Amino acid sequence: MSNAIIPLLLDSLASAALIFFAAVGLTLVFSVLRVLNVAHGSLYSIGGYVAASICLFITSRQLNPYLSFVALLFSAVFVAAIFGPLIERSLVRWTYGKSEAVQILITFGLFLILEDLQRVTFGVQSFYEDAPMRLLGTLNVGGVVYLNYQIFLIGMALFVVIGLRLLINHTRLGRLITAVVTDREMAQSIGIDTNRIFILAFSLGVFLAALGGALATPTSGIAPGLGADTMVLAFAVAAIGGLGQIEGAAVASLIVGVARVLAIYLVPSLDAVAPYAAMLVVLLIRPYGLFGSVTARRI
Amino acid sequence: MRTIVAASAVLILAVLPVAAPWLQFVLTVAIAKGFAALGVAVLLRAGLISIGHAMFFAASAYGVAFLARAGINDLGLLLILSVLVAALVGAIAGMFLVRYRAIFFAMLNLAVSMVFYALCAKLYGVTGGTDGLPVPIPAVFGIAVGEPVFKSVLFYLSLALMLLVGLAVQRYLNSPLGHALSAVHSNEIRLEYLGIPVWTVLLIAYVISAALAGLGGAIAGFAIGRVVPDFAFWTASGHLVLIAVLGGIGGVPGAFLGALFLELLHSAAVTVTDAWNLIVGMTLIIVIMFLPQGFYGLFSRKEASSL
Amino acid sequence: MAFKAISIVVARCLSSLELLFRLDRGLPQSNLRLVVDGLAGALAIGVVATTSVAAQEKPNAVGLGIFTFTSGPAAAYGMPGKNAADLMIDEINATGGIEGVPVSATYVDEAQGAQGVIAEYRRLAGDAKNQVMIAALSSATCLALAPLAEQLEVPTVGWNCDTHQLLMDGKSKYVFRPNGNTVPEFIAYAIYLLDRKPDVKTVAIINPDYAFGHDAAKIFTAALKALKPDIQIVAELYPKLGSPNYQTEISRLTTARPDVVFSNLWGADLENFVRQATPRGLFASSQVILALGETVLQRVPLPDGVIVGVLGDGWWMSPDAKANPETVKFAEAYKRRFGEYPVFPAIKMANALIYVKAAYKAAMQKNGGKRPTRAELADAMKGSKVATLTGTAQTRADNDGLVDQIVGVTVKTPAQQFPVIGDMARYKGDSLMPQVGQDPLAWISTLKPEFAKSLPKPGSYK
Repeated sequence: MSNAIIPLLLDSLASAALIFFAAVGLTLVFSVLRVLNVAHGSLYSIGGYVAASICLFITSRQLNPYLSFVALLFSAVFVAAIFGPLIERSLVRWTYGKSEAVQILITFGLFLILEDLQRVTFGVQSFYEDAPMRLLGTLNVGGVVYLNYQIFLIGMALFVVIGLRLLINHTRLGRLITAVVTDREMAQSIGIDTNRIFILAFSLGVFLAALGGALATPTSGIAPGLGADTMVLAFAVAAIGGLGQIEGAAVASLIVGVARVLAIYLVPSLDAVAPYAAMLVVLLIRPYGLFGSVTARRI
Repeated sequence: MRTIVAASAVLILAVLPVAAPWLQFVLTVAIAKGFAALGVAVLLRAGLISIGHAMFFAASAYGVAFLARAGINDLGLLLILSVLVAALVGAIAGMFLVRYRAIFFAMLNLAVSMVFYALCAKLYGVTGGTDGLPVPIPAVFGIAVGEPVFKSVLFYLSLALMLLVGLAVQRYLNSPLGHALSAVHSNEIRLEYLGIPVWTVLLIAYVISAALAGLGGAIAGFAIGRVVPDFAFWTASGHLVLIAVLGGIGGVPGAFLGALFLELLHSAAVTVTDAWNLIVGMTLIIVIMFLPQGFYGLFSRKEASSL
Repeated sequence: MAFKAISIVVARCLSSLELLFRLDRGLPQSNLRLVVDGLAGALAIGVVATTSVAAQEKPNAVGLGIFTFTSGPAAAYGMPGKNAADLMIDEINATGGIEGVPVSATYVDEAQGAQGVIAEYRRLAGDAKNQVMIAALSSATCLALAPLAEQLEVPTVGWNCDTHQLLMDGKSKYVFRPNGNTVPEFIAYAIYLLDRKPDVKTVAIINPDYAFGHDAAKIFTAALKALKPDIQIVAELYPKLGSPNYQTEISRLTTARPDVVFSNLWGADLENFVRQATPRGLFASSQVILALGETVLQRVPLPDGVIVGVLGDGWWMSPDAKANPETVKFAEAYKRRFGEYPVFPAIKMANALIYVKAAYKAAMQKNGGKRPTRAELADAMKGSKVATLTGTAQTRADNDGLVDQIVGVTVKTPAQQFPVIGDMARYKGDSLMPQVGQDPLAWISTLKPEFAKSLPKPGSYK
């Protein structure tokens, strides 16, 4: 049994890293804008499509293959720079202060549109480029071969958690964001340009979604339908961690990752149920998620 | 004036299938979804968004399939029993769920419905997995009927139920229990100070809304002739909320207006292009942005402002 | 004509809405008419848009309703089908249509789910022009449409519809499946595996988590146990359809160390699985069977020696296909137009169209050259034997099809950049099917190890 623990652990971490990338942007956007972006999953797959396209270009021109790692990052920046401001300005801004139903439905409409646009642009076949994965090679742990790329993903997830924490605690932008999160009206009245903060925060959310999609492409191709699946998973993870909690999302990803891995090893037939069952259990005990706080009731 | 509009709308609906027979199916399903959306709208009154009501829709449809397999073969009986099944599921889920508010209520409903969905797809031996279960054609008041006749009976029965149930829900919403819902939305704590048990008020609303979704699910099950787990998928729940908001949550006709609009839009869009999601999505955004009260809001603006 | 009507209605709708916004606050009562107008207009859009076809004058084309996935994850399998249908119909029309009548097809996207598909089916069936439905890809759609086909009496040809449950009651009059079903398709793999690796002891299964995956696992396991009772299933994994990631499953499969890994994953799922499993050595440590492997041969580099097949005889490079100039022409035209050679879903669709064409001809010959009715077409399909691009499709008394099954292993060839199928066996369609009316699973459990002896051996088909 003991030699099965290390593979289990590695599998859990690798699976948690991918889940985390899907969820962290969603939870960040919710914490700042108080908007649940249902189109988040589509932005994730758009990031994947763009990354795969650029990597394919690099391979076809026989440029230095390590450029494809740069391409993964660049594609996320690219998607964020285009879609972030565009969506925030045109649709999301309109929903501020409206009921949750309206926010969910507007972004749901956006989700339907983006899904079809992807199909029209990229077709229906799976889209991928695995150069980054092949470059890194493999690693043998206890008789099970792992991809070094999986370990790279775990590192990237840690990097993002720490990076976001540093950004929020130790930069001016981070402090502004914190101010807006804590008290939007007060922040506005002391002269913080909340509109700018919203655009930046939303674009950062888009960047994280697109980065998740981009980092996933080297091992798993992007195909139609991925956006919807990613969305529900991201939602479950964000809810478990507490909407708006970045560390919460990280811990929740681990929980869901471990739950899935245990399900696959012990009761494979419950694999698909695992994330939702975990979500249900956590939410019944702690409705605001593991790290969420109770919001004051109106009197 | 409003009675005339309503009566003529129902009349138009009743004759439409004569002009285009295949529309009968679309309209039956639209009315079925209208019931479910009405259920969602009841909860929306209290400010609660349920992204999980497709679960009750599916539960009742599966109920019909199981009961029919168990030998019950009468339309009326099957409808009543399956609605009871949905109400029962609603009562059990509601006992836990109505403690929560806002986005948390939405998420928990989603979680419960996704577990239900996953189980329906998973329990291959019981639910037939993703291939689903057939819903046979039952007898109508003891008379065995053929398929076309049954579908017509089903359509006009749904139309009649739409009126009857619609009126009943209207009365419920105008009763103290119904007004308490809006009060939960605007100020829950004051309601508690007044000695009104919020939990009970919401549980009753939740059971009613589950039963409405169940009625819709049973009708849809009969019309489609098969239940599949997709009935309970989160996008289906999303569509129900969509219908409720499109129609306007203010009144009963809104849900049915929204359902008719969306189903007809869908039917029209799929014939024009592959990219029907695109059309539905754009319409949705446009309607929400420019008709914030939903369609029904257009009719009831005066009444709403006088509240 | 129809389009004009639609645009008028749309314009009317929009203008009434626009008026609404302008008058919004001022005159609520008088808005009512406009609202009613608008809603009636919306209703009318639906009616006009969808009945316009029916309003056309006398039909002068063979109308087909073709059901496949053109969106969502299953489009990876559905689009080759649609492409093949497009190409076949263009070719048929370029050579004068079927007996001089041009063919026109209406495509329906199965991704809408059962309800939307049924609505579309009813709409298409309501138009006399549409004489045959080619429906559908997914088993769930087929099962939902089958009762409807019988009620509305429209001949319906399942171009894929793998499930063995479809025609099990044997009462079908209008539903046909000129294809194999899950039973022969997956027994073939069990037989081929035992011929090629007689000493196999442990098997692991990784199939998609829906009816097709579970059915295949059940049939494959039952056949293996019947033919070699000491075989053990050491792991059965059912990842969710559309999962992008199989890393944990691959670790699990590697730690179980099975002799054989069987999978009927397909589409993007299969590509992802292969791409993730290859560098992790799964293909080296176990004999892998990819039941739908042919669909990704041109897309992912599969290692040598993987057992793959085409769920039927629809391989565009099989000896029979190469001997048929029509098939060669079709494959080349397909490659020119879509940039890839036709994978087996494309061939299945093309064969379904040939099946319909043959039935049309037969029906016209029988009724003296008149335009055949739906009933006459169904009659012509009954018991027919049609030469397809890749073999023959014979229709049994229960309307189920008898089609040969080709299984082989991947090999490299200098002629192509991608691996092809070698060391093939071609099993006769009727040899792997239970008799009409027999329960398939009960039949499989009666099989004896001797059963496989009489069948062709790997490498016998060249």
